[in-house]
Amino acid sequence: MNQASAPPSTIALIGNPNAGKTTLFNALTGANQRVGNYAGVTVEIKSGETYTPHGHKLRVWDLPGCYSLRANSPDEKIALDALTGAIPGESKPDLVVCVVDASNLERHLQLALQVLEIGIPCILALNMVDVAERAGLRLDPAKLSEELGIPVVPMQANAKRGIIELKQALRFPFPTAAEPRWIDSSENPAASRRALIIRLCDLAARRPDSHQQTRSDQIDAILLHPVYGWIALLGIFFTLFWAIFSFAQIPMGWIESGQRSFAAWINTTMSEGDFRSLVVDGVIGGVGGVLTFLPQIGLLFFFIGLLESSGYMARAAYLMDSVMAKVGLSGKAFLPLFSSYACAIPGIMATRTIDSAKERLVTIFIAPWMSCSARLPVYFLIVPLLLHEHEGTWKQALVLFGIYALGTSAAFLVAKLLRGRLGKDSSPGHFLLELPPYRKPQWNYIFRHVFERSFSFVKKAGTLILGLSILLWALSTYPKSATGDAADALTHSAMGRIGAIIEPAVKPLGFDGRIGTAILTSFAAREVFVSSMAILYRVEETHDPEATRKLLRDRLASASWPDGRRIFTPLSLVSLLVFFIYAMQCLPTTAVVARESGSWKWALGQFLFMTGFAYAAALVIFQVGKLIGY
Amino acid sequence: MSHFLATDLEIDSAMTLNQVKVGCDVKIRVLSGPGCERLRDLGFCEQLQVRKLAGGRNLICSICGTRMAISRELAEQVLVSPIG
Ligand SMILES: Nc1nc2c(ncn2[C@@H]2O[C@H](COP(=O)(O)OP(=O)(O)OP(=O)(O)O)[C@@H](O)[C@H]2O)c(=O)[nH]1
Ligand SMILES: [Mg+2]
Repeated sequence: MNQASAPPSTIALIGNPNAGKTTLFNALTGANQRVGNYAGVTVEIKSGETYTPHGHKLRVWDLPGCYSLRANSPDEKIALDALTGAIPGESKPDLVVCVVDASNLERHLQLALQVLEIGIPCILALNMVDVAERAGLRLDPAKLSEELGIPVVPMQANAKRGIIELKQALRFPFPTAAEPRWIDSSENPAASRRALIIRLCDLAARRPDSHQQTRSDQIDAILLHPVYGWIALLGIFFTLFWAIFSFAQIPMGWIESGQRSFAAWINTTMSEGDFRSLVVDGVIGGVGGVLTFLPQIGLLFFFIGLLESSGYMARAAYLMDSVMAKVGLSGKAFLPLFSSYACAIPGIMATRTIDSAKERLVTIFIAPWMSCSARLPVYFLIVPLLLHEHEGTWKQALVLFGIYALGTSAAFLVAKLLRGRLGKDSSPGHFLLELPPYRKPQWNYIFRHVFERSFSFVKKAGTLILGLSILLWALSTYPKSATGDAADALTHSAMGRIGAIIEPAVKPLGFDGRIGTAILTSFAAREVFVSSMAILYRVEETHDPEATRKLLRDRLASASWPDGRRIFTPLSLVSLLVFFIYAMQCLPTTAVVARESGSWKWALGQFLFMTGFAYAAALVIFQVGKLIGY
Repeated sequence: MSHFLATDLEIDSAMTLNQVKVGCDVKIRVLSGPGCERLRDLGFCEQLQVRKLAGGRNLICSICGTRMAISRELAEQVLVSPIG
């Protein structure tokens, strides 16, 4: 009973990729760590807490999946280090729960045996018994337990079946390490493992002999087809963009009208003055302007979550391998790059699954050019300005599709150049990918994930964006001009003066000082651009209450240069879009790149290259466009 | 001596996974080459039965109920023989 005062024991979940470790971890700890139906979702150690049936606290580690203890890639190395106590400041886990896919024991037991051989107490979690049953496998956990000398718990982690039994098995005292009886000093250990596995599967997991044509095989016949597969791939991604555009219209309308009536209400209840201006222009205009795009961001995470949990991602990676090979990458690099469409940080972390160090470096370098969710508010502000109000959503979706394609294809070009310069790998890497069966998504995980991401977006709006909005509002309001004329007010304010300094640098790209300032603030976070624009382009005639309620989009559409020309011509809008596609404006990403690539130079080089490229590309587009006569 | 002869013969009559026709079931005989450790980790072990599901740039095979995509270079290192 002195366990309570001692630090909690650590149990580690280990197993092949996609065995369901994180699902089990979430079920044990109540966390909502990332789950997906492809190999290599978890790439770092996640720690959580659970309690035994007797109320003892246990620390649980979720480890990256690995195929063997030979650590072929950085993520496998992390799992191995955790298991052997090589993580600084941590000791070996007290107990290992080896998670295996019961429908695939021939493959999954290999790792389990290797873990037993290093002499750590171990429990075998026989996961996915539902899949095994459907495949007609006859499992015999008791026999397995007897043969291996460790507790074996059959379970189905995604339905929380067997969790209680597993917790029962986690009672103190922990089982002692089993003797690896199969190791025979005269024989190669791999061969003795093989022999044991064949025997075990014969005894405890009889497989019906014939190869069955499963549902997944039938779906794959289309989705992996050399022609239909590509049509399906493009179709899926186009539908995704179209759905984001059209579904998001509805909640967006609610948010906008809510905001407008709130601003109108403030306008009528508060007396005119600086404070009212701060609330209406600074807070509602700035923060609200960004919040309008919450539905799109939620939808993007929802659809990416659906794709990841269905099992389609591995198929897309398989198809993309031939395209990626042309630029010196492999299909393996596709998964981290795709993750980067949601956010570059998990994308860059996911490059740990790539075994070739050079391919990994190149993938890290180009990942920020996969347009992340933080760019969505900017795109959604600009794209409707580019098209006419009543243009169909499919056209907007097409433009958005083009934006993503532009970023991605430029990234591939850079990858090709960079891959050429880095030279060949010392040992050739090979494309190797598990194609898991298609599965139903874990809805509770997806909804919680979308909620968490949306909440963090709202939190950012309430903190960073709110703070910057207030600052920007103050800078654009003070010092006040003597005339009281609204147009003069901005030029006279601190912001107007800063804008005047910035303007020469951005005018060749087709932007005025206000856009330049908004771009400058967007280096804090891309979404800030929208709130900055809302504040800097606030309606000049503040005495007209109707005008303050106009949408930011309408205000931008009518903004003009001092000489009366429109600021937002199609050409300057395209130039602005291009700048945001390519600019690297995310400090946390730069920090992660520095950590993952192990070099500040790489991260700094990436920042300078991308931002320089963005500037140059926008410059060329605007100048050439003007020459051609747009 | 006879042992060596037997395996030599086996390798002679074997073909690589690339040469197998799509849809055929084969048995893995020998793995040889730089990628064989990695292949073993993924479950491509001697004596196991594989079915080739698709060819091309990367092959898809089904091994113990799992579908795996592997590159041609790796498939070249898997020597198989027909079942039966
Ligand atoms: N049918 C079934 N599916 C399951 C079960 N447990 C997990 N899954 C699914 O298996 C997939 C993989 O689950 P994860 O928990 O992400 O697997 P993981 O072992 O953490 O994978 P990596 O992090 O890539 O190593 C998900 O699609 C889960 O929904 C189960 O008991 N039965
Ligand atoms: Mg995981």
